[in-house]
Amino acid sequence: MENSKKMNLWERLISIRGMGQVLTGTIGLIALCLLFSFLNPSFYSARNIGNLLRQIAPILIIGIGQGYVLITGNIDLSIGSVVGMSTMISATLMTKGMDPWIAVLVTLISCLGVGVLNGALVAKCKLPPFIATLGTMTVARGIAQIVNNNYNTDAIGEAAQGFRDFFYYGSVAGVYNTIWIALAIFLVFNFILSRTRTGRYIYAVGSNIEAAKLSGVNTDMTVIIAYVISSFCAAVVGLITCATAGMGTMDAGTMYEMYAVAAAVIGGISTLGGQGILLGTVVGAAIWGVLQNGLQFAGAPVAIRNIVIGTIVVVSVLLDVVIRTGRPRKKVLEDKTIPIQKAS
Amino acid sequence: MDEYIVEMSHISKSFPGVQALKDVSFQLKPGEVLALLGENGAGKSTLMKVLSGVYTKDEGEIKVFGQIVEDITPKKAQELGIAIIHQELNLCPHLSVAENIFLGREKTHSCILKDSEMNDEARNILKRLNVNIDPEAIVGELPVSQQQLVEIAKALSINAKVLIMDEPTSALASEEIEDLFGIIRKLKKEGCGIVYISHRLEELQYIADRVIIMRDGRYITSMDFKDTTMSEIISYMVGREIEDRFPRIDCERGKKIFEVQNLNAGRLVRNINLEIYEGEIVGIAGLMGAGRTETTRAIFGADPKESGRIFVDGKEVIINSPRDAIRSGIVLVPEDRRRDGLCVKLSVRENIALPNLDILCKDFGIVNRKKEYEMAEDTVRNLSIKLPSIEVDAASLSGGNQQKVVVGKWLARNSRIVIFDEPTRGIDVAAKVEIYNLMNDLKRQGIGVLFVSSEMPEIMGISDRIIVMCDGRITGELYSGEATENLIMEYATKFESKLTQKQAV
Repeated sequence: MENSKKMNLWERLISIRGMGQVLTGTIGLIALCLLFSFLNPSFYSARNIGNLLRQIAPILIIGIGQGYVLITGNIDLSIGSVVGMSTMISATLMTKGMDPWIAVLVTLISCLGVGVLNGALVAKCKLPPFIATLGTMTVARGIAQIVNNNYNTDAIGEAAQGFRDFFYYGSVAGVYNTIWIALAIFLVFNFILSRTRTGRYIYAVGSNIEAAKLSGVNTDMTVIIAYVISSFCAAVVGLITCATAGMGTMDAGTMYEMYAVAAAVIGGISTLGGQGILLGTVVGAAIWGVLQNGLQFAGAPVAIRNIVIGTIVVVSVLLDVVIRTGRPRKKVLEDKTIPIQKAS
Repeated sequence: MDEYIVEMSHISKSFPGVQALKDVSFQLKPGEVLALLGENGAGKSTLMKVLSGVYTKDEGEIKVFGQIVEDITPKKAQELGIAIIHQELNLCPHLSVAENIFLGREKTHSCILKDSEMNDEARNILKRLNVNIDPEAIVGELPVSQQQLVEIAKALSINAKVLIMDEPTSALASEEIEDLFGIIRKLKKEGCGIVYISHRLEELQYIADRVIIMRDGRYITSMDFKDTTMSEIISYMVGREIEDRFPRIDCERGKKIFEVQNLNAGRLVRNINLEIYEGEIVGIAGLMGAGRTETTRAIFGADPKESGRIFVDGKEVIINSPRDAIRSGIVLVPEDRRRDGLCVKLSVRENIALPNLDILCKDFGIVNRKKEYEMAEDTVRNLSIKLPSIEVDAASLSGGNQQKVVVGKWLARNSRIVIFDEPTRGIDVAAKVEIYNLMNDLKRQGIGVLFVSSEMPEIMGISDRIIVMCDGRITGELYSGEATENLIMEYATKFESKLTQKQAV
């Protein structure tokens, strides 16, 4: 208690675990914003900022889901297919005349099923997460294709206008709903991860699953929860995609699992588990969005955008690895001097 | 009957292919320190894992505080007041000290973690243990000895009535061991029953009240510690008398084969000069953190060096990587065999072949299978490694046999210098003697042996010459005849005083 009083705000901020990478990322983000505003004076226009945030929102949401799974030391490759599945199921049901909100409910339930399956395969059946979710990725994409007999759906129609406004077109207090949804998801899942027992177990499982198990933690359930959250986030993004396009496309969400990994790791979540915070994912998703938006504005073709973003992902993880492998070695040496200090 | 707090009767447990426990019975009284002894693979850890709910028994009955308990899980064991400190550290390195202590039993207020309360309580527990660790520190950033204390704090935080310690001192320095013994005595007074598993028999005299000895998964005997002797204990453990715990052979000292001049690498390797002659074993003694491991790693090229020259058979060799060292005839048997010494997921054959692929490969880097098998079979035979086949995973062997594989893979090639770092850590008495005999064989063949050890009797019993290090420097050198524990300790604690350092600056 006395300690925390002595610390000023800045010290308290950087003492939060994982904040280091978030701050580094933030600096990168600011630099990018400066660069693009220089290249393109209308970068800061209200219109562009609004669009930019609306581009970032889905990436943030799936990044949060992937973040949960990565912190447990696993990976979820099925995210993109679940986005597609969510889009196709909701759109198909709505074109068949189902009430949009019931369609949303059915969609969420079926997508959470994928999460439960992922979690069970990894936790209970001990499959390597890469293989297990590679399988469900393919299956979920298949489901996305089969729900409307291998066709994209027709427009979801007038009846679904409320649905489309809720997820994409509407705004509250001058801010698009999509952004509010992303913010709400971030706040809720950040709270769960940082302040509740479930969150603590997610870190513990990723840090040392054996120790967690021996401490009485239900590690299987913890892993399943992480995968279910990931599928939930993907399902929400699928609904947003459906609302945006006003129809269901079978290849919606392709590659999103990788975008989600990128947003999470740029923000400092370790793919080895146990490390990172969701605030980092916000920064990661923002860097992603700014790059897409800025490069597009600067007239760079898609190919160049892909190359730049891919490079950024590798470099940011590389930086992280360099910092981490540089650090522990030094730490050990420092630690070993402790008995010496005692003796003198 | 109710004088016992734990009674395990006729416990059996088998794993696929192995009968780990056969009809074992075990009792623990309140307020006693019970030393559970036996060689590696005797079943001590398995028995304690059954008691703490990690494994489920196949047969038998467990009574805790007079009540028959079925289906123990780790959680249930905690609730019964049984705490276990496992041999391998079982902490989450990314979480804080307090988070680890309360893992699985977090305090919450309507689902929200009460972190500051847990931190305060953790601070109190650590204070009770007399250790100065910040409860908010990240466990992975603490030195291993402090992590061990966190494990103990975690065990105590559940108000354990039964405390099981599996090799608690293997990572501690002597000062910390004394603190630990103080804690054990205190808990004993409070009525705790303590089960103490250790290979360091020397420690028992300070704490043990009673011993139970196991061998090959069976209960052998139980006796009061004061009525027995070390050699009696050892003969029960091994099942035969060990005539000589530290076999020593005498060899003529030959020519100088290895020399290190002015080696510097970081603050724990400062100005090291040493030489090794044919037919001698040189031991490096010192406290934890004296820079012994760092020195061996710098010689071997595993860590970068700042300066220094190394000579093998009078010729200077340039060593920038372990690859260079191996080519020059220097090999290192590392301290932490699971981390540095073995690829645990590979077979014993592959492990033995790994550093010798240059010998085993034909043109175009194709491995000569026949030679590889021969090499592995020879090594297994020469070192009498106990295993079902050379194709089993290295992970499946017992500690002593793993260590033999680590040693064996280096002996399969002709080296000039073999460096051992804590070669007998965590292995049993009989296996230790086998390792000593191996070192003696090398000595007889005229190969230089350099070995680091924290166990005084071992270093005095085996080496012909002892180099003592303190704080990254060599502070003394002794021949086996003149070495005493006191003398070694004196050198090992010869720290530069802060005053002279200041003057030097």
